[in-house]
Amino acid sequence: MSKFNFPFIKETNELSNLRKEVREFITTCINNNEFTPSPDAWVFSADPSFSKKIGSKGWLGMSFPKEYGGHQRTALERYVVTEELLSSGAPVAAHWIADRQSGSQILRYGNEKQKSSIIPQITAGECFFAIGMSEPDSGSDLASVKTKATKTKDGWKLEGRKIWSTGAHLAHYMIVLARTSPASEKNRHEGLSQFLVDLSLPNVKITGIPDMTGQRHFNETLFDNVELSDDSLLGEEGKGWKQVVGELALERSGPERFLSHFTLLDSFINEFRNSLIHSGTKIVGKLISEIQTLRRMSFSVASMLQNGESPETQAAFVKELGNKFEKMMIETLREFSNIVPLHEWPNQLQNLFQDATLRIPSNSLRGGTTEIMKGIIARQLGLR
Amino acid sequence: MIEELEIILETTSKILQKHVSHGLRKNIDSENTDILNLWNDIEKNGLPKISVKEKFGGYEIPFFSILPLIKIVNKHGTPLPLSETILSNYILSESDINPPNGIVTFATNTKNLQIKNNMISGEILSVPYLNLTKNLLIVNELNNVKKAILINEINGKIIHKKNFLAEPRYDIKVENLNIAEIKPIKNNINFNFLGAILRSAQMIGAMERVLDLSINYCSERKQFGRALSKFQAIQHQISEMAVELSASSAALSTITELGLGEKNSSDTAILKIRAGFAAGKIIAISHQVHGAIGFTKEYELSYFTKNLNSWRNDFGNESFWEEFLGKRFLEKNNKNLWEYLT
Repeated sequence: MSKFNFPFIKETNELSNLRKEVREFITTCINNNEFTPSPDAWVFSADPSFSKKIGSKGWLGMSFPKEYGGHQRTALERYVVTEELLSSGAPVAAHWIADRQSGSQILRYGNEKQKSSIIPQITAGECFFAIGMSEPDSGSDLASVKTKATKTKDGWKLEGRKIWSTGAHLAHYMIVLARTSPASEKNRHEGLSQFLVDLSLPNVKITGIPDMTGQRHFNETLFDNVELSDDSLLGEEGKGWKQVVGELALERSGPERFLSHFTLLDSFINEFRNSLIHSGTKIVGKLISEIQTLRRMSFSVASMLQNGESPETQAAFVKELGNKFEKMMIETLREFSNIVPLHEWPNQLQNLFQDATLRIPSNSLRGGTTEIMKGIIARQLGLR
Repeated sequence: MIEELEIILETTSKILQKHVSHGLRKNIDSENTDILNLWNDIEKNGLPKISVKEKFGGYEIPFFSILPLIKIVNKHGTPLPLSETILSNYILSESDINPPNGIVTFATNTKNLQIKNNMISGEILSVPYLNLTKNLLIVNELNNVKKAILINEINGKIIHKKNFLAEPRYDIKVENLNIAEIKPIKNNINFNFLGAILRSAQMIGAMERVLDLSINYCSERKQFGRALSKFQAIQHQISEMAVELSASSAALSTITELGLGEKNSSDTAILKIRAGFAAGKIIAISHQVHGAIGFTKEYELSYFTKNLNSWRNDFGNESFWEEFLGKRFLEKNNKNLWEYLT
């Protein structure tokens, strides 16, 4: 049962002070018109100059060691900073993946050269990453990837396609999961490896795919016999599956799984506070109880990461519950339009609501579907 | 103290494993010697007074720290009001009343209560397990002062309530009943909050058991040539139970660590909302995956789901606490939601 426990972690005064500092910084940025809060900003709203600014504040690569330009702060400190950035809808998409998972992955598995050349750039907010997992024929069934890396005289040759690579058109690198030897009959998780691929290399072709909202963040990334140097291998050859599972824990457990549309909720409440006091106390209470529970669970996972545990299952719990909450929240606001009709909402709020409604189907797909999360949990329960 | 608590949890599990069976739950009666033996073992180990002050012979472990014990007691489906006794004794002790020996239960609600010459009249409602004890705690506001009232003799009109056919419950109409002790309650003791927390911890214990029962049943029961647990449709339903349970446990661990906290409320509301909602889901799914056997009296699932149904409604259901929480925030006009949450 320990996999289902989320011990309570208290926010210390130091953490609250950090929170305040970040909040003041963001307020100044908004007052100076440096950005407009937007929903789902960690996917859709990229601004490299904002990322650089965050980096110079020391809020990227926070838990990375100092020798690589990091700040040697805790995962809990990083959690507080990400919560503040997400809840304010700041344009964090450019650096999000690098800071959340790729940097940690390189620190954990990378060689000295990879670490010393890339980590300092990530912490400075100058180096962005895309995820190289899904392929046209491999979505939920990640172990079925066909992208292949073949050993050459002085390195590797990479051949294949990655898809849904959010932000690849802005990114400098992608961590690519590729097959380096055929899957064995018994264990298809064998023979996979991770590669650190410089996206500016010849024969890498990135093509945008507009999503249903009409915006571009998705890409297809083609590796047409890309020559990789020997030290592009990340971690151990053949251990890619184990590595990628750890990466997914970082990807799934964070507050972006329930704060993606917080700006909508916040504006909604500010706008309709008076009507809500009369006819919406119950829905507001329900939403508060869900967000608070999720925050505690996600914060608890951050502390597990800090302690060097591998909370893959707990991450699945947070993601599953967070996805459900966001869908419920948007439905709840929609139903409120019975009291104040949608066309009477201020334009900006209508827009936020429409954006959220359009984007919400993706929340239980990206980072692993609901079905995959439930499968992970079922395995932990001994059902599979 | 944590070590002390761990030893207590271990001892308790052993006692309950030894005594509690589904058969025992079918005969909850003061004449049943098995019930009496179980209570004697519980009392011998000091569990009823675990949160009672040392000067009254208790262990003085803070009530919020012993919530894991409440969870275990109810995970075993113990057919005795040990949870009620622990909370009642805690409130009595905090009100400087020496808690009596034996089982103590409480009134979940009251109506038209009046006190004259140290005697009480009115309706005392939804009292669990009144068939096992004469010791009853009533918490009531009289002339704007909250009071703890202890009664140790019951006479009057006693009505056995149906209460989902779960644990026995009674409504009593009394006239000029003698009061054993009456004292004002301290400000930090809010019976409705403590009751909501108690019921939530009980629900979480019961839900842990319901999840275990569902996993075991689906792993053993074969249909279409394979165990039910091998069907993805079943796996996903059971996973959903685990998700709901884990969220409720997270809400409980907040209270275990912080108690009522300075703000004295929102965490309790969150816990009761979360646990009550989870109970609704878990009752439905567990019965669905168990099929007809779960719907029989013979099989133990229903003992737990009946209690869940009952506890969800005690001390405010989800809607009550949602409104409480929503109102509390919305009326603080100067704070936006994020500031409030953090």
